[in-house]
Amino acid sequence: MNALRLLLLFFRLGAMNEVQYRANFWIQLVRTAMNLGFALFAVFIVYEQTTHLNGWTMPELVVLMGVWTLMGGLVGVVVQPSMEKLIEDVREGTLDFCLTKPEDAQILVSLSQVKVWRLLDVLVGPIVIALALAHMGKATGWQESIAFAVTLLSGSIILYSFWLMLSTVSFWFIRIDNILMIFHSMYDAARWPISIYPGWMQAMLTFLVPVAFAVTVPAGALVGRLPLHWLVGTIVLAALLLALSRWFWKVGLRHYSGASA
Amino acid sequence: MSRGFGDIYLTLFGLELSVMFQYRAAVVIWLLGLVLQPVVYMVVWLRVAEAKGGKVGDFDAGSIVAYFLVMMLVNHATFTWHMFEMGWRVRSGFYNAILVQPLHPWHRDVLANVAYKVLALGVILPVAALLAWYFEPTLQPPLWAVAAFVPAVILAFFTRFLFEWALGLLAFWITDTSGLNNLYMAFILIFSGRLAPLDLLPPILQTIAAWSPFEWMVAFPVELLLGRLTPEQTMHGLAMQVLWIAIGFAVMQLTWVRASSRYSAVGA
Amino acid sequence: MSMPAIRCDALSKTYRVPEREPGLWNAAKSLIHRRTRDVEAVQSVSFEVAPGEVVGFLGPNGAGKTTTLKMLSGLLNPSSGQVRVLDHEPFRRERGFLQQITLVMGNRNQMVWDLPVADSFARNRAIYRLQRTDFNETVAELTELLDLGELMAKPVRNLSLGERMKCEVAVALLHRPQILFLDEPTLGLDVTMQRRIRTFIAEYNQRVGATVLLTSHYMADVEALCKRVIVIHQGQLLFDGALVDLVQQFAPHKTIVVDLEREGLDLSGYADSVSVDGSRVTLLVPKSAAAQTTGRLLAELPVVDLTVEEPPIEEVIEQVFSQQHTST
Repeated sequence: MNALRLLLLFFRLGAMNEVQYRANFWIQLVRTAMNLGFALFAVFIVYEQTTHLNGWTMPELVVLMGVWTLMGGLVGVVVQPSMEKLIEDVREGTLDFCLTKPEDAQILVSLSQVKVWRLLDVLVGPIVIALALAHMGKATGWQESIAFAVTLLSGSIILYSFWLMLSTVSFWFIRIDNILMIFHSMYDAARWPISIYPGWMQAMLTFLVPVAFAVTVPAGALVGRLPLHWLVGTIVLAALLLALSRWFWKVGLRHYSGASA
Repeated sequence: MSRGFGDIYLTLFGLELSVMFQYRAAVVIWLLGLVLQPVVYMVVWLRVAEAKGGKVGDFDAGSIVAYFLVMMLVNHATFTWHMFEMGWRVRSGFYNAILVQPLHPWHRDVLANVAYKVLALGVILPVAALLAWYFEPTLQPPLWAVAAFVPAVILAFFTRFLFEWALGLLAFWITDTSGLNNLYMAFILIFSGRLAPLDLLPPILQTIAAWSPFEWMVAFPVELLLGRLTPEQTMHGLAMQVLWIAIGFAVMQLTWVRASSRYSAVGA
Repeated sequence: MSMPAIRCDALSKTYRVPEREPGLWNAAKSLIHRRTRDVEAVQSVSFEVAPGEVVGFLGPNGAGKTTTLKMLSGLLNPSSGQVRVLDHEPFRRERGFLQQITLVMGNRNQMVWDLPVADSFARNRAIYRLQRTDFNETVAELTELLDLGELMAKPVRNLSLGERMKCEVAVALLHRPQILFLDEPTLGLDVTMQRRIRTFIAEYNQRVGATVLLTSHYMADVEALCKRVIVIHQGQLLFDGALVDLVQQFAPHKTIVVDLEREGLDLSGYADSVSVDGSRVTLLVPKSAAAQTTGRLLAELPVVDLTVEEPPIEEVIEQVFSQQHTST
């Protein structure tokens, strides 16, 4: 498919670009190790004091951490850098270069930047998950595996759509160059199963910034904690948000083209 | 000459306040993260306390809430962001203009930092009040602790600022300091008591925290206001802060001298 | 003679730059081992500038003029050599030194972007610790000279490039510096504004007696302002002297263009270099012989029209650089 070809192309370009800054590789390695180390450390400190956190055992929480890392990596490889570039382009007026090309603009802006080294997170996440599952002893059934795959995919789509919508807002509010911080702050809260939070916070993390779907849901699916209606809800939401974000993108684009001198 | 300095500070502070006000939407977004993080850990530790029948360590629910709410305010008062900007500043030739002026660049950053915090108080105080109403902290510190709290926070501010500004200067040597910055953030999260009250950490980590400047940057004023410290411990803490400020100042000045001599004035 | 305002001896600056071949394999190799290359941006440059002089630095992009300027203003640490400005070592950035200099960089904004121009003025007043009375006087003077009246209340981001440059220059002069380092001050401006800025600088130099060092690749800037030019090319000082002498030294020719009544006439006897285009002949003659040759042409040939031209200074400069190229 065309998008796939473009993705590979941008990937190669991004890789070559990244590799120049040799420090970046080591930095990302350290960063991934640090993030993981810190996440595990936090879990460790908590489980020094208790065996269950809102019903989640320590290995289950480690699975959650693994999913958190994996998702963070998926977003960080291409979605985040591309959206950051989009916001910058809108601010500088250089989005025009993208719009005059014959490919669909949304695809182009969504794939424009690749940070290869974030793949380390995508690698490490599943390893952590596998180790935690192994430690738990019980075998993961095919139902859980499928549910996991489906929710992972849906979660990614939801996150991508959310990022796109957030970045599209910058078409109107150019001066908020840190709008993406909203995601980072909320994503930090997704390190823990959202059931620990009071109702209003859970609502925020589900409906306002849908990080719940990115982390708790797939992790829950994998360890067999996901009620069926959540599974269905995730799939429906993914489809909905994808359509909504595309529509919103088009609105934003119209606004941008009309406004530019 | 010192009167001249006061005039400089006042004028520049007013300007930074005006600029910060222009970016008030961005200010609110930054605050989101600042508020959310302590609330997240507060909730986690509340659940832990519940699981243990009401108390974890010597913290009950009320004191956990109090700890993290005060932590939120002290962290807000002491945090800096300049290390994240330095890389861009060095690369963009920003310092070309600054270095030609007869004012040490750190003054402007201090003023920008304080201006931000003053502006943000308008949001963070009501939010803290709201959270206090919902989560119900128990906070009854002795009067002397309240009095000692203000100087403790001011000293904490300078301790943290000096070290973090010096850290930012590494951008003069390393193109991308985001890795180092994140490493630092992880350390300070743990050792300044923001992940968990220091008393809940394994003893070896508590020792490291006490020997590092981190405990004195954030945890110390928090523990003080919570009424968890004796007068002797408070005096000791304030002395440690002064010590770390002296060290921090030396580190910062030395690093600055070497950084500016290394400066290759790229950019326009 | 009094002490020079600026003095450099064998000033040099060398940068270490990473070097890499293109391609993915080489990119991967560079992760392990990085090759670097030394770039000599400025090589052993020496000159002196007297107080009140206006000196132009000429040279193509990357020649080293901006690097030299940065060493003079204290931004860069020289790799070797001596430099003294107003009897200070610039790199030490002593307050007494910084208080007397100013640096203006074309197309680069030093003012507070989001606030009115007046606030940027106030900022410099604070930083340079200016007394209110002096400050107000200077502001009034600059406002008049540069016609800034309506701009003071506008946020910097709303100004056009020309308006911004005027304000940048004004802000830079609030502390009445004795030395002005101007790096491409007219870059990107339209012709009217360029002229405006040039006139201002000349007037300022007259009034205040400040020393001006100006880099530019617009010949018009240099012609208008600088009696003395320093030509820098590939880091080396090629020429230091009066502009007229530069022209004399490197282009001692004039061009005579003659339109004749008919074609086919042979003019090779009048000059060494003759090019023919139908009935128009272009001759290149030494300056000293120009008048005489003109007279002969008019007397001896059926001339319809005749023009005598100086070579444009740009060409002269290009000649200077290409000569350097061929000789190295």
